[in-house]
Amino acid sequence: MMTLSMLVLTIGIFYFMTWLYKRSNISFLFPILTSTICLIVLLVLLDIPYDTYMEGGRWINWLLGPAVVAMAYPLYTQWQTIMKNRKIILSCVAIAMATGMASILFLAWAVGLKTDVKLSYLPKSITSPVALQISDAIGGIPQFTVFFVIVAGILGAIFGPIIYRKFNIDSPVSRGVAMGSASHGIGVSKLTEYGEKTLSIGSVSMTLSAILGAIVCPIVAWLLF
Amino acid sequence: MKVIRIILQIGVLYLFTLIGTWIVDWTHLPLPGSIIGLLLLLICLLTGVIRESFIKDGAGFLISILTLLFIPATVGIMNYPELLSGYGILLVVILAISTLFTLTLTGKIAMRMEARQHDDT
Repeated sequence: MMTLSMLVLTIGIFYFMTWLYKRSNISFLFPILTSTICLIVLLVLLDIPYDTYMEGGRWINWLLGPAVVAMAYPLYTQWQTIMKNRKIILSCVAIAMATGMASILFLAWAVGLKTDVKLSYLPKSITSPVALQISDAIGGIPQFTVFFVIVAGILGAIFGPIIYRKFNIDSPVSRGVAMGSASHGIGVSKLTEYGEKTLSIGSVSMTLSAILGAIVCPIVAWLLF
Repeated sequence: MKVIRIILQIGVLYLFTLIGTWIVDWTHLPLPGSIIGLLLLLICLLTGVIRESFIKDGAGFLISILTLLFIPATVGIMNYPELLSGYGILLVVILAISTLFTLTLTGKIAMRMEARQHDDT
């Protein structure tokens, strides 16, 4: 009973929030953000622990694996575009990873955060299942990493379109590569609004970031800490 | 009919996730099974082992509900109420600066590289 009601509740809230988002056209009403806040408030008010919620939630969560695999499809249909821009994609993914790590380590150092929090930040731009493993391997706090990853994704999805406008980032390649390598899957899910070409560049950048991050994060952690 | 096709095709995509997970278990690669599954499916599509029509509807459906799929994991933040304190806000602020700076810089560099590529050709 609980399983079904949590499932229906999640899907119901999500569809309502999606409707509201499309209708209002306000990027702050990004459905992941509003649905999450709504669900957390409801669960806290009804005194339902997260584990109980996940009895229903895990059925949705389970689809995340096949959904990541499904991203091979836009990669396949846009393969020529990807190969044509392979140099840009590869260099920009590497640049984004270096910039992301350097800037977060600098800021964390500037405000005086502890080493385990700094390490938890390192894989922040990488899709959550990979980031979780990396964080665990380099001595971060996995729960903090998941939080950072999700927030980095939501921030990209909300502010990405504003940045695109302000800084004239207006080609599918530049939009896709920037979002995929800074804000992984959540950011890339926003790119569905920009068409298949942008989406496929976004997913290929996300995938490359995950592979690169799995190699680079442990090296950086080993060198610096 | 289309509903059944979508469900069956999601089954195929799940199979790739499973194979990816097995490969990760064997080889101890530091990547999740789904990323390996993605690469495998891409190879199968490019080499023609699997026809596009075999996964098209299932993949299209999952990608269209992608944002929904992240929600249960995101709700897990509720287990960390300390992140809602002043300390948590500080952590989010520096995360925001770093992430948005990275996004902007990468986008600008990509634009410039693209412009140069067009000049060359």
